[in-house]
Amino acid sequence: MQTGNMVIGLFIPGDSLLHRVDPRSKIVFSFAFAVALFLVSSFGGLALMAAGLAAGLAVARIPPSWLYRGLKPVLLLALVTFLFQAFLRGGAPITSLGPLTLYREGVREGAFLALRLVLLVLSSTLLTFTTPPVMLTDGLSRLMAPLQRLRFPAYELALMMTIALRYIPTLLQELDRILKAQLARGADIRRGGLVKRARNLVPVLLPLFVISFRHADELALAMESRCYRGGRGRTARRQLRLGWLDAAFAFIMVLLIGGGIWVGRL
Amino acid sequence: MCLGLRLELDEAGLVYQPGLPFSATALEHVFLQVEPGERVGIAGPVGSGKSSLLELLAGITPPTSGQVLHDGQPVGRAGPKPGTIGLSFQAPENCLFENTVAADVAFGPGRLGLDKEEVARRVRSALEATGLDESFEQRHPFSLSGGEQRRVGLAGVLALEPRALFLDEPTAYLDPAARLDLIDRLVELNEESGATVVMVGHDMDELSRFAQRLLILDAGRMVADGPAPGLLADAGLLRDHGLEPPGTVTLAGLISRAASLPVEPFLTEEQAVEALARIMEGR
Ligand SMILES: Nc1ncnc2c1ncn2[C@@H]1O[C@H](COP(=O)(O)OP(=O)(O)OP(=O)(O)O)[C@@H](O)[C@H]1O
Ligand SMILES: [Mg+2]
Repeated sequence: MQTGNMVIGLFIPGDSLLHRVDPRSKIVFSFAFAVALFLVSSFGGLALMAAGLAAGLAVARIPPSWLYRGLKPVLLLALVTFLFQAFLRGGAPITSLGPLTLYREGVREGAFLALRLVLLVLSSTLLTFTTPPVMLTDGLSRLMAPLQRLRFPAYELALMMTIALRYIPTLLQELDRILKAQLARGADIRRGGLVKRARNLVPVLLPLFVISFRHADELALAMESRCYRGGRGRTARRQLRLGWLDAAFAFIMVLLIGGGIWVGRL
Repeated sequence: MCLGLRLELDEAGLVYQPGLPFSATALEHVFLQVEPGERVGIAGPVGSGKSSLLELLAGITPPTSGQVLHDGQPVGRAGPKPGTIGLSFQAPENCLFENTVAADVAFGPGRLGLDKEEVARRVRSALEATGLDESFEQRHPFSLSGGEQRRVGLAGVLALEPRALFLDEPTAYLDPAARLDLIDRLVELNEESGATVVMVGHDMDELSRFAQRLLILDAGRMVADGPAPGLLADAGLLRDHGLEPPGTVTLAGLISRAASLPVEPFLTEEQAVEALARIMEGR
């Protein structure tokens, strides 16, 4: 029942070089990095990209315990992928464990896929570790701004994301409160059959909905009273500017991604 | 009839988001023993850990270090036994969910396996204690004003008639008369049922009316724990920790300065009259 300890967004406040790179640069190159991972087809290429990623993690001073936290959701998937490949792919048999046979190509391919998956997740977590959620949506909306001309609601989408991100911790905290208060009133959400349990959730979920709507209502009023009239023509207090740091970052990333693809093709 | 709960904190501490770069220590090394039936007030500046302490004492939030005991038994992670505690957070109206006020207040007692009449009696007496008359019973909670909703939320907790009550600023949003009325009812309830009552409050006048014992928190540490009258009369101590002494204590200080006489700090109006009488005699 400790929703209060849940980590959302996984941003780690800090002042490293990576923290200071413009969110747009980070988004573009994280994306490029992810695409490149799929273009690489040898261990050499993956190793190069892994080394680059490790350097990034070191520069951003990400505590190892946090890496584990970020990876936890996919570790199982990576393991299953590996086992599937290792035992079912076929190729030259290495040894057999009971009815299962371990294949050389399978182990190779499984390790490759698992490593790729881990790198993919790590690279995107490095982005969220070093970029505050608000900067992320800021960067995204700026990147999508040209689409506004095609009537794609880029600003509105960005605002929605920002608001959602802003309210997730608040709502989690309120959920925690309500849960505790209703448990103290004898609510029981852990016992009983499915229907009963769903019914028992009412005392918790209904107040949460009410609070969400109340927040939405108040926020809308507050925004209107401060003259919010839609995204068009708004200026931002936080100006994003590309600087020498972004140039350096772009240079390194191009080298890393290009190198990875080049090595990986061999 | 219902016996108060004994509460104990054994070097309890609470850290939010432990182990993370932005972890926040809300409480450190708190030792505390609350006897059954005591009325305890908790005071302290904003963010000093009052709500956290209340949640720990109630056993509803497990401490990150140390232990919480109810009646000498450690409280497990599952929380206290149903029906032993009642807990009202800073915004109890956030927990309303039924279609009528009466049904909402009846939710808690309804789960304790009591018969219908007993539930109805508790609903009535809880609503009465929070100053809501019969006309409110069949209304929809969300058709009430904020202050009225708050009272319904509080009534839902009182209706549990628990062995220990934990209230976080229950008088916020009430009008001045209703505040004093609620405080008096809590005192009455405590004296009649013998339940332990712990209340977080911002207003020293209210706390002086309510508490037998006062805990003062500052920055996650307990800086004072003792009989409420003594601590509340200590204007220096209170001001040191960002609190405003009760009006009567401030008045005593002013009189003493104006008359250039030492005046014993007084808390109640009666004590004030006595003190003034003594000054007059001295003249
Ligand atoms: N969910 C949370 N996550 C992180 N930190 C928290 C959380 N809840 C409280 N804190 C921190 O713990 C400290 C104590 O909080 P607490 O709510 O106990 O204070 P309080 O004395 O009740 O304040 P108030 O008078 O505003 O109600 C504060 O510094 C607060 O920032
Ligand atoms: Mg509080």
